[in-house]
Amino acid sequence: MNKPIFQISPGFEEIMPPEYRDLVANGPYGKGFGVGDLGAYKELVEEHPLCAGCGLALSIRLALASLPNPEDTVVVGSTGCSSLVFPQVALHNIHSLFGNQNAVASGLKRALKLRFPDKEKDVVVIAGDGATADIGLDMVMQSWFRRERITTIMLDNEAYANTGGQESGMSRQGTVLNMAPTGKKFPKASIPEVAQAAGCAYVAATSPAHPKKLEKAVRRAVLIAREVGPTYIQLLSPCPTNYKFKPHETIPLIKQREKEGTFQNQEYISEEAQRFLDSLEEARKK
Amino acid sequence: MYYAAKLTEEKCTGCKICIMSCPDPNVIAFVCASKKVKIDEGRCKGCGLCVSVCPKDALNVSQL
Repeated sequence: MNKPIFQISPGFEEIMPPEYRDLVANGPYGKGFGVGDLGAYKELVEEHPLCAGCGLALSIRLALASLPNPEDTVVVGSTGCSSLVFPQVALHNIHSLFGNQNAVASGLKRALKLRFPDKEKDVVVIAGDGATADIGLDMVMQSWFRRERITTIMLDNEAYANTGGQESGMSRQGTVLNMAPTGKKFPKASIPEVAQAAGCAYVAATSPAHPKKLEKAVRRAVLIAREVGPTYIQLLSPCPTNYKFKPHETIPLIKQREKEGTFQNQEYISEEAQRFLDSLEEARKK
Repeated sequence: MYYAAKLTEEKCTGCKICIMSCPDPNVIAFVCASKKVKIDEGRCKGCGLCVSVCPKDALNVSQL
C-alpha cells in the first residue's frame, strides 16, 4: 500500500510483463500528476473490456488520474460495468457484494485508521448508479449519517447497462431501454440533494466532458474526506450501447444535455469544508 | 474489420484535449519533443471521441 510494494524484486525484472515494468518505471506514484499530465506517463488503468466510446470508462480513467495520493488510496468497487475495469487497475481495490460498497469502505477506513494512525489513507468508493442509488442506497445513506470519512463517486450511466439495459432509479422519465420497453414511469431522483441533506461535507455533480472540473472535484472530495466528513461526486457517463447512440457522440451528448438543462454541473461545499479548503490554500501560498 | 484513429500531424497543436477525452488508457501519448500527440493503433478501439472533440480537425477514424 505504499510505493516500495509496487517495485519489482531484484532478479525478477526479466519475467515481469512489459506493462508492469513500464508502470514501475513511468507510473504516477508519488509524483503528484493530474489530468493535465495524462499521455506523458503510464496510467493506473490497463486495457479494459468496456465498449468503445464508454462514458463510464472515461470517468474512471479521469477520476483515477485525479487522485491526490494514488499509492495510499484503496478503491472499493461494486458489481456493474465499473467492476470490469478494476481487475486492470494498479491500485488496491476491493470488489464488494452488490450494494455493500459503502459499508465495506466504512469498516476499511476505520481499520486503516487503527493500523496506520499517523498516515493518511484514502478510501474511495467508485460504483455505478445501480449500486449507489438503488440497491445500495441504504448503506450509502447510513455511511453519510455516521459521517464516515470516505469519498463516494457515482458513475451515473442512467441504466443497468451490464445486464442488458434495465431502468434504474437514475434513468430519466420516459426512457425506453431494451429491458424497459414501456418507458420509465417516474422521474430521476436528485441524489446530490439527498447527499447534501444527509450530511456530506462536499457534493459535486459533473461529467467527463469537463476533465479539469472533474479533477478539481475529485481532489477536493478526497482531501475534504480526510479531515472533515463524507463527500459525494456524481459523474454523468452516458452509455452508447444501451442508449443506442454512436460511440463518438458521448461527449457531444453531455454538452447537449447541459444546453437543454437536463443536466447541470453542481457543487456544494459546507462551511467547515470551505474553511478547510481555505487553510489548504493559505498553506500552499506560504 | 478494425478501426482506429489516425492523426494528421501538420494540423495537431498539442492541446491534449483528445488525450483527456479518450476512454481507453495509454492510447494517445503526448510526445514532448515534437509537442504533438501519437496514437497507438493497436490499443485504439476506434470510437471516435477524440475526433468529435478535436478543435483543429487533426484526427479521423479509418479502417486499419
